[in-house]
Amino acid sequence: MDHMSLTEKWLRGIALTLVVLFFMFPIFWIVLMSLQTNETILRSPPSMVFEPTLKNYVAIITGKLDSHVASMDIAFMRNLWNSILLSVCSVAVALLLGVPAAYAFARHKFRGSEDIAFTLLSFRFAPPLLVLLPLTIYFQDIGLANTYFGLIWVYQLICLPLILWIVRGYFEDISPDLENAYRIAGHSWLSTFRRIALPLAGPGIAAAGLLAFIFAWNNFIFALVLASADKQPVTVGALAFVTASGIQYGQIAAAVVLSIAPTLALALYAQRYLVEGLSLGAVKG
Amino acid sequence: MPELRIENLTKRFKSETVLDDVGFTVEEGRTLVLFGPSGSGKTVLLRCIAGAEEPEDGHILIGGHEMREVPPEHRGIGMAFQNFALFPHMTAFDNIASPLAARKLPRDRIREDVERVAKLLKIDHVLSHAPRALSNGQKQRTALARALAAAPSLLLLDDPLRNVDAKLRFEMRLELPRLLADQGATVIYVTQDYKEAMALGDRIAVLSAGQITQAGTPEDIYRRPASIEIARLFGDPTINLLDVVPEKDGGGVFVRLSGQRVPLDGGLEAAVGKDCVLGLRPESLRFAESQDGIPVTIEAETPFNEKTVTLVVTERGREILISRPAGTEAPSEGKTSIEVESSEALLFDRATQSRIVPDQGGGTSEAAA
Amino acid sequence: MSEALLELRSVDKFYNPGGANEVHAVRAFDMAVSKGEIVALLGSSGCGKTSTLRMIAGFEEVSKGAIGVNGREIHRLAPAKRNVAMAFEGYSLYPPLTVRDNIAFALKSLSLDKREVERRVGEIAQLLEIEDVLERYPSSISGGQQQRASLGRALIRDADLHLLDEPMGQLEPQLRALLRGRIKHFIKERGLTAILVTHDQTEANALADRIAVMEGGVMQQFDTPANLKDRPANLFTGAFIGEPPMNVFEAEVRSDNGRINFGLGGGVALDYAENEFSLALRAALAKKPQVTIGVRPHAVRISSEGAQAEVTANQWLGDQTHIAARFAGGSIVSVEHERTRYAKGDVIGVVLDSANLHVFDTETGAAISHGGALA
Repeated sequence: MDHMSLTEKWLRGIALTLVVLFFMFPIFWIVLMSLQTNETILRSPPSMVFEPTLKNYVAIITGKLDSHVASMDIAFMRNLWNSILLSVCSVAVALLLGVPAAYAFARHKFRGSEDIAFTLLSFRFAPPLLVLLPLTIYFQDIGLANTYFGLIWVYQLICLPLILWIVRGYFEDISPDLENAYRIAGHSWLSTFRRIALPLAGPGIAAAGLLAFIFAWNNFIFALVLASADKQPVTVGALAFVTASGIQYGQIAAAVVLSIAPTLALALYAQRYLVEGLSLGAVKG
Repeated sequence: MPELRIENLTKRFKSETVLDDVGFTVEEGRTLVLFGPSGSGKTVLLRCIAGAEEPEDGHILIGGHEMREVPPEHRGIGMAFQNFALFPHMTAFDNIASPLAARKLPRDRIREDVERVAKLLKIDHVLSHAPRALSNGQKQRTALARALAAAPSLLLLDDPLRNVDAKLRFEMRLELPRLLADQGATVIYVTQDYKEAMALGDRIAVLSAGQITQAGTPEDIYRRPASIEIARLFGDPTINLLDVVPEKDGGGVFVRLSGQRVPLDGGLEAAVGKDCVLGLRPESLRFAESQDGIPVTIEAETPFNEKTVTLVVTERGREILISRPAGTEAPSEGKTSIEVESSEALLFDRATQSRIVPDQGGGTSEAAA
Repeated sequence: MSEALLELRSVDKFYNPGGANEVHAVRAFDMAVSKGEIVALLGSSGCGKTSTLRMIAGFEEVSKGAIGVNGREIHRLAPAKRNVAMAFEGYSLYPPLTVRDNIAFALKSLSLDKREVERRVGEIAQLLEIEDVLERYPSSISGGQQQRASLGRALIRDADLHLLDEPMGQLEPQLRALLRGRIKHFIKERGLTAILVTHDQTEANALADRIAVMEGGVMQQFDTPANLKDRPANLFTGAFIGEPPMNVFEAEVRSDNGRINFGLGGGVALDYAENEFSLALRAALAKKPQVTIGVRPHAVRISSEGAQAEVTANQWLGDQTHIAARFAGGSIVSVEHERTRYAKGDVIGVVLDSANLHVFDTETGAAISHGGALA
């Protein structure tokens, strides 16, 4: 059997390398691009040999974009701040609303509960443009257009169903006997929810929160339509680099690196967390 | 310590009736065993009493107080679960302390109580461990300790020995009566092991398809089972069941097995000529060299723990199991004959499957029809 | 012993050899099984019994040692070439086939006449009480029925060796005793050789001619059920075999004035005349002042003249009574076949006859004596 497993090892190694190359190459390439000037990026044929420069990052962080034609102001750092604010607040609101709702759906089966839960999930199916047009008109009427509040509200369309469905599954995995045991021991349902259900679903809630954060961060279309420049997140803000005088590839790349850095870091952190959460779930009861 | 009274309890899941008009009373300080095969509704009944399920109809009275509207945390109940249901994110100590913490007792008092009950159950050395670091036996004892910690007046034990190995199960079976007696609590004990039921119950209620089919002392159930089903549930090896038609002559009522007469209780005259089933417990049979015995051929001898069980077939091909204390002499192969201790023979009506009660003495069955 | 049908010679099994989590699952396992014998591998989970069975079947490689059937080494052959039949713990019935076809499948390679197949399947189905479900599919029958079908599929084959992995664990309790009898009769009548793996000693006792007790990958004892009970090789086997388990006490041995005295805890001492023990045993005991003694529950005699014990539980189980009593600083369990009326708190006398005494070395656990003679 040993010689078999050696071939197997090799094949597996090669396959893994290919997959990693395929998925990592864009990230690798964009990091390289962010360290080059537009000229070196656009030379043909492309080459990996260049003199690295931090000019792009400096331009983005200081907010001064200098091309050989003109100098213009960009608000990328502002966009980054908007992204953080919108994503964090949206996830916080979604957790506040979604976790108790998920618990209710997991533990109390009432008539129509399955339908309501599914309707909430179906928000994720509809193309966002479907709701955007009416929303824009409403928001303008009630003064929510171009406010953080309005955006966070709309972001619930992304975050809430996600959290509801993931966390509900985690709650359902907790043996009801654990909660029964705690209640029979003399605790109210509220303290049972806080002391038993929440801690045990903790890893799941964290994972769902992280996932919702990444989805909110990556959202483009809601902010594009509903927010003006000063409320736009990075995804929309990156459009500013497509200028009349040409596309600033170097700066775009630097902006992309900066904007994916938080989600990438979160994803790496979450990966560890998710594994932990899964193994915790395995010893319930 | 209060008595527990259940009246006309009915519970449905969708269209399926899982408890059908169940009623019984457990006197204070007594242990009632709810016995039945899986799916008979035992656990649902226990959950209704605990307040984890809401019954559609009926009454649950603890010490005379209706409990239907009382939330579980105010019923004054201790419960141990079949799957232990230990809180995985708390230490054994915190698990056991949870009913005491709910009563807002001072810290010292909690520590004292937890240590006392832990010592009683021999788990005082693992109190700082998380449940996953405990052995199965320790988990089971921790679950029991948690149920006992606040000295509840009503204790519900849902098959607590199901998930521990045979040796531990045996140990706990002998230890439990003392623990329960020390508590003085009224106990409902759910099990599907008939030995546990007989060993631990002051009374046993047999549950079958959501109904109580017989309630009585272990002796009532074992010696006077209400039906064939109940007779088959109690006893290992299972009772031998033989189709017979009782006859009568000058010598009294009797049945024929392979041509040999087996006398029956004279009070069974009403059964003469009816299609019946004769129930013979394996231990009420023995090998006999006499001419009156029922001739049989030995098929296989299978030693049991403290017994030896032999499978024999009669001349008409009917299989019979016989048990005897281990170490006693008996033929182990070939042809021999057996004798019946006829005072222990049971007679059932083949059509209704219920036991035919001998007439004299007026002993009525406790079957809840 | 006559020519062995199955022979295992110092078989070892390692999982993840050389790896960080190497497991030595089976250690230097020797066993010889004669034709027509039923042998049980008995132990708790993780003792190596299933690994051993799977090595015989060919689903696990033998790390070291050899396995032979009829004098032919088989441990390098593919499972299909070993001519063994196996019933799996997880049943492994083929889902798209009916129970009948599942069982008949085992006869396929014999290219038997259709009516002969039908006869054989009918016979085994009757034996295992699955006639009613023969036309059903595995997914639509109960776990117990699936197990019986799987057992039928293994037993129907003509193989050198029948391997049964936990063959009766899921059987309905009401059927167990009867089926044990029938299966034992079936195997014996046809002269089949069977190895069964089980954690249930009742099953092993009932079916097997000899039982190999395993723990930690090591065979503790390989003997007849009667010998395992009466002459356990060590404390592990002594305490493992028997339900209720053996009563065990630490004891201090003294001998003077023609008496031998075992001092137990709680001020209780067992006193015997010297001549109840053989000379060799007396010499052995003289060298071991600290021993562990064991007495089987059914050998505990309740009598007014014995050492005092306070009854803590008296449990009648229909055909036997288990009595537990506080004794010698611990507790003692006695089994009676009649119903006894002792109540909790009653003081009874306990007599332990020298003939029923098992003495073990406290340090090594090895048996020193059974009754009056050396082990």
